Amino acid sequence: MPVRSVCTRRLTPAGVSICLPVPTFMTYLHRLLHAFSRSRLDPTRGSGWATLCLLLSLTASLPASAVEPDSSWEDVLAEARGQTVWFNAWGGSDRINAYLSWAAERIEEEHGVILEHVKVGDIAEIVAQLDAARAAGQDSDGRVDLMWVNGENFAALKNGDMLWGAFAELLPNSGLVKTSPSIEFDFSVAVEGLESPWGGAQLVFINDMATAPEPPRSAEQLLDFVKSGGRFAYPAPPAFHGTTFLKQLVHELSDQREALAAPVEQADFDAVTASLWAYLDELHPSLRGGGRTWPVSGEATLQLLDDGEVDIALSFNPNEASAAVRSGQLPESVRTYVFDEGTIGNTHFVTIPWNASAAAGAMVVADFFLSPEAQIRKADPAFWGDPTVLDFSALDADDKAAFDAIDLGPWALPIGSGESLPEPHASWAAALEAAWLTRYAP
Amino acid sequence: MAVGQPAALLVAVLFISPLAAGLLGTFVQASAGADLLRNLGEVLNDPRLRAALVLTVFTGGLASVLVAALTSVVLVSAHGTRAWRALNAALPPLLAVPHAALAVGIAFLFAPSGFVLRLMSPSLTGYDRPPTDWTVPDAWGISLIVGLVVKETPFLVLAAVAQLRGLDVDESLSIGRTLGYSPARCWSRLILPRLWPRIRLAFLAILAFNLAVVDMAILLGPGHPPTLAVWLVQLVSDPSTRHVAAIGALLLTGIVIAACALVLLSERVLGLMAARRRRNGQRRPGSQLARRLGQAIAWILTLTGVLSLLMLPLWSFASRWRFPHAWPSAWTLQHWTHRLGSVFEPAVATLFFALISAVFAVCAGIVWLEAERRGRVPRLDSLWYVPLLVPQTTLLFGWQVWAIHAQLNGGWLVVMHAHWVYSLPYVVLILATAWRELDPRWMHASATLGVGYWRTLWRVRLPLLAGPVAQAAAVAVAVSVAQYLPTLLLGAGRQATLATELVAGQGGMDRRSMATLAVLQAVLPLTAFVLALRWQRRQRFAAPVAVVP
Repeated sequence: MPVRSVCTRRLTPAGVSICLPVPTFMTYLHRLLHAFSRSRLDPTRGSGWATLCLLLSLTASLPASAVEPDSSWEDVLAEARGQTVWFNAWGGSDRINAYLSWAAERIEEEHGVILEHVKVGDIAEIVAQLDAARAAGQDSDGRVDLMWVNGENFAALKNGDMLWGAFAELLPNSGLVKTSPSIEFDFSVAVEGLESPWGGAQLVFINDMATAPEPPRSAEQLLDFVKSGGRFAYPAPPAFHGTTFLKQLVHELSDQREALAAPVEQADFDAVTASLWAYLDELHPSLRGGGRTWPVSGEATLQLLDDGEVDIALSFNPNEASAAVRSGQLPESVRTYVFDEGTIGNTHFVTIPWNASAAAGAMVVADFFLSPEAQIRKADPAFWGDPTVLDFSALDADDKAAFDAIDLGPWALPIGSGESLPEPHASWAAALEAAWLTRYAP
Repeated sequence: MAVGQPAALLVAVLFISPLAAGLLGTFVQASAGADLLRNLGEVLNDPRLRAALVLTVFTGGLASVLVAALTSVVLVSAHGTRAWRALNAALPPLLAVPHAALAVGIAFLFAPSGFVLRLMSPSLTGYDRPPTDWTVPDAWGISLIVGLVVKETPFLVLAAVAQLRGLDVDESLSIGRTLGYSPARCWSRLILPRLWPRIRLAFLAILAFNLAVVDMAILLGPGHPPTLAVWLVQLVSDPSTRHVAAIGALLLTGIVIAACALVLLSERVLGLMAARRRRNGQRRPGSQLARRLGQAIAWILTLTGVLSLLMLPLWSFASRWRFPHAWPSAWTLQHWTHRLGSVFEPAVATLFFALISAVFAVCAGIVWLEAERRGRVPRLDSLWYVPLLVPQTTLLFGWQVWAIHAQLNGGWLVVMHAHWVYSLPYVVLILATAWRELDPRWMHASATLGVGYWRTLWRVRLPLLAGPVAQAAAVAVAVSVAQYLPTLLLGAGRQATLATELVAGQGGMDRRSMATLAVLQAVLPLTAFVLALRWQRRQRFAAPVAVVP
């Protein structure tokens, strides 16, 4: 069983080439256990040599990837078998991490691909590292095979020519994906098959009916709410939910919102955002933490809601409250809602960097993510509760029934409530974050 | 053949080379692109840096001063009392528990919706909902200071207790009291001035740690701005700001050096003042009230630590626990069973790093001390303090550069090496006293009976020193389990241990899952300590126990 591994050759003083294993100890353990569990090499019955051969094969190196984005799917599957895919994805949510563990098991079972979740705090760091690798000319054997991105990070990867190719529309399951502006244009940047859609999202608010039965449904109402003693705090940008909250506010408050659809360089930033800063200056003193301390993330606001330190939490997942109630993280008295004029929504994607070591394996993973099996489980709040990107009319009856059977409970965002507003152009996020940091966290 | 120079030199090379290469690498990065001074000027003009700098000096400085002050209060008011044994028993577990786990517990304890207020609400406080007057973490770094004080005071107290044995405390006290001085004055005039030189290095290590801590500052410190060390770790992950991080790391080292110099200077000044005071002959009866107050402080500190640790299992089994309920209203095992997969892997990796690096550290410590005993290598006591005094950021930023060049970054080998480098000093410092004090006549007797070197080492010396060896191994395990920054930077995010998972979970992870990780992170070193203690008891000829450092 040849297993590809990242292998580093180094010259010892004697000139002998030794091979130092780079993947984690756990990967080795995992592979060993896996090999034994398949009983191909039972250490209790087989000879010790077989075990030794297995160990040696674990450090053996195979030639580099041969598949192209448009290779036949049989070639992709054949090359993918045995590959390890390093999937760089935000790792701050238990439920998502557990979902990915499940996906890893299924993918290994089905295609013999080992999926390793590299838990990332902010994927922008990985984009910066890839940028450095690009500059240094490291065009193969990269450390990232697949990454979870959208918006400005996708725009940065695309502008920097750091993407592997137009693989997404050639995946077998891509035929099931629905057509939607946010799938064709990621924050106003054309996707062109360079990334594969994974799930949908919309900024939502979660309130506790026991403490805030009539939560604010617009920016203006929110200001009145906190001024009259309501408890609220948003995560400090550049935390994802914080930045999205800023976009929501600027969309709602600015009298020049059409400027948001174009790159920020083409707009008069100060004029477009003047009303935002005036609003925040008034809002901050009444926030939990007084505008001096901020929740670390959107997830942290859920904890604060359960603790009673805030009345309203932020989420980017319309079903998150359902999952949280079922896992005992939030009380049953919570409800999810959006502002009357709608809230910012988008699609998130997975993509393959140009120097991926296991591009074939990464394609197999991206395709599995789009399978009805994976999308149904992902949409179920018992596991994750992330809205699907599939088109129900393209599904067969069983899969459609499985989607219909998902019980969202009274806690999720009621279907059809509130419009999904378009994301501003990808370049706005960084500009808003920088301006926020200079003003409020120098 | 005996443990000789080559083996000891190998230990020295493996220990010194990353320190030297790390510092050099950070210097090289700091001067990247332009010259060092221009880069430095650029960094100093950054307003965020100034804010982080002020915060670092405030939290690290105040925490260290409090640690020193509280240690003397605890010693003066509680030493020799009936409660002293109980207090002393609580210290080693607090010492063993990693900073991150303790920080998680402290946040649970003191938040507006935390355990302390849940116990008192609404009956005593009248709060139906948590108050809004403060937050944990807070913007001023108070939470961080509390965390550091609770964690570091036991360290200094234990270091002091180990040294007090050689100071004839009881005699000094009885002489002083016969002359009519109050116990507090006996301490401040007769004992503390002699104690200080013996624990000075331990205090400087605490000071350096408080100024440069990363994991606890992420969990308990302010975010906007964060402390300097945390900010640097944020900068170093972006290649375009790596040189800024390197300069900041050198700046942090400068702050640590300046702080140490300030301590040595104030030592002189205080010494002069104390000498004058000693001669003035004033005496007054001791104040019972002050003594009681001191004991109360000792108890509050210990209780805070112990309660923080108890928070962890409570939360890890809680299903619903809302303010103002004093106890969880529903319990569950699901955080343990559902997450077994995701908790198991980092736990096994943590155990793997801890056990292997502890075995190698103990072996290396024995090799070095044997070679030193036989005069093959010089005594290098202060060298072992280098990793404890130089900020981790400064060493690791440079070390990471070399690891990337050697294509070792992200592998377990280099992470293991780093864990070994950070546990070896504790191992050597613990073993050294016992090793040097062991009566040489044991060896002579053995040699007279015709027993060879190795057999003597194996059958006579090591069994006699089994206590300290077991203790050193336990401390090495505790040090390795707690390592956050080396695992993060050299493991390139690929070596997930309990420490990295716990700190990464800050903010994103469900509190009950954080508690599960923290319980595991605390249990590993505690188990090591219990095992070491049991092992020590089984040894009939156990030599006196040495305490870090």
